[in-house]
Amino acid sequence: MFTQLLVNGLIAGAIYALVASGFSLIYATCKFVHFAHGPVIALAGYFLYLFFSLLGLNFWIAIILAIILAAFFGLAINVLVYKKFRQRKASPVILLIASFALLILFESLILIFFGADVKTIGFIKIAKGSEFAGAIITPLQIVIIIASAVLFALLFLLMKKTKLGKAMRAVADNKQVSEICGISTEKIYNWVFIIGSTIAGVAGILVGLEQNLEPTMGTSLMIKGFTGAVIGGIGSVPGAILGSFLLGLVENFGIWFLPSGYKDAIAFIILFIFLLFRPQGILGKKNQSN
Amino acid sequence: MIEAYFIHLLILVGIYAILAISLQLAVGFSGLLNLGHIAFYCIGAYTSALLALQGLPFWFCFLAAGFMAMVFGFLLSLPTNKLKGDYLALATLGFSFVVTAVALNWTGLTRGPLGLPGIPKPSFFGFSFANNFWFLILVLIIATASYLIIKRIIQSPFGKALEATRDDELATRVLGKNTLKLKSYSLAISAFFAGIAGSLYASYITFIDPSSFSLMQLIPVLCIVIIGGLASLKGTIIATVVLTLLPEPLRFIGFPSSVVGPMRQIIYSLLLLLILIYRPRGFFGKIELE
Repeated sequence: MFTQLLVNGLIAGAIYALVASGFSLIYATCKFVHFAHGPVIALAGYFLYLFFSLLGLNFWIAIILAIILAAFFGLAINVLVYKKFRQRKASPVILLIASFALLILFESLILIFFGADVKTIGFIKIAKGSEFAGAIITPLQIVIIIASAVLFALLFLLMKKTKLGKAMRAVADNKQVSEICGISTEKIYNWVFIIGSTIAGVAGILVGLEQNLEPTMGTSLMIKGFTGAVIGGIGSVPGAILGSFLLGLVENFGIWFLPSGYKDAIAFIILFIFLLFRPQGILGKKNQSN
Repeated sequence: MIEAYFIHLLILVGIYAILAISLQLAVGFSGLLNLGHIAFYCIGAYTSALLALQGLPFWFCFLAAGFMAMVFGFLLSLPTNKLKGDYLALATLGFSFVVTAVALNWTGLTRGPLGLPGIPKPSFFGFSFANNFWFLILVLIIATASYLIIKRIIQSPFGKALEATRDDELATRVLGKNTLKLKSYSLAISAFFAGIAGSLYASYITFIDPSSFSLMQLIPVLCIVIIGGLASLKGTIIATVVLTLLPEPLRFIGFPSSVVGPMRQIIYSLLLLLILIYRPRGFFGKIELE
């Protein structure tokens, strides 16, 4: 029981962390809450469904197309919507409400185009899980954990070693000074949205394969992602990843005491505790909460 | 037939008006971006419905709904008092998810997703409001009373202190006002009116389930408050009438009912985006969101 819950917690944590890392990358750099990250995730799953299950493309081509489209979709939101707000010097709260409106908008569009029923991608036949130290784990779940670990490593290298990553961190740290140094912040914002949305695309595909597709999946994942990000420190990507794994574990161990329907409530009680006593999160810096 | 339809619409306008002016009190007049307003509406509806199903008289259920929501509003304000902007929005949104999760999972009390059917229509000392026309009169009386009370609150010294807190909290504290207390009272009063709106809704529709109080329901109310203009009661009332009636023609164009729901959400979210981009003060607003 213990190892099973541990494994389940890690898998849930890996998915939340994929959501949270993109979300918190965008928050750290652009300084606003991008709720519309949720529909980017959902759309990636639905694109895979469209290309693979409806149009019958090759599975791997469908996956690559879905991820590329998710990245473009994130970029398009930034260029077509958020940029307009930045030009007007809108406050972060206005951007938050705007992104919330975008979330509802795209969720309703998915509902109209694909319907409310649950969609199955059906690439992976129901595989019998293998036993691993007393816990049952399916091959796909192993893929989820490995894929997220690889992505986090790549993201870490990108942030620390490349020129783009350094520029991103510079903009996150101080926008004005980085502009003086010749960094085009708009260009960096575009890159941040592309990278964040690519990770979101991977998350959407993995969730689609693991749990099927629902129009509201983006919202529920987004909620978990931002809870993880707030717990870990909303402006810090490693913090967001750490917080998400913590959230996944606490939720799954929580079912020992409470019915599984209370998973969401557990997530929010943790969120509340953190907002109250440590609003900057585990790894966040204190001044970022203001 | 057409008459019955208009009465139905006007009843909804009345209920939305109470909900919107109460949110206006928190967001516009006190500067508290409360994204959990639907949770108070939900608490009010469930309190009223559960008491009415026990056979208690309507006036009692109605007031109990308001007071129950008020207590929760006050309790929510205690931990979130010091939070600002993004963090307050996220915490109140989180509260809203906890309330929905409890309504879904505390099946012993709320019957979970099955909902509560057969909620009695209100009656006062033998006079029944089961007829929709009389119910409309009741809703209009309560909506007008709520409007006058909130207007009185805003014009009182207490209301002025609230606006001062919104504009400059530090300065207001320097003047010797306990701003934390002011904000708590504001949220509690706002929650009270959301609670009575919930009670009216439950006794009008006679059936409630957790999906009536999902995140989606927040969009029309938020849209009304922002499009009408922050800190303007007149704007809120006009926006309530216009925006509640606006999507109604969709029903006559001949869309299937599964499309009308998402279409309404699309209209509201698009309007919200447009107004935030081009006229962030709304039509009658006195201040901008910060």
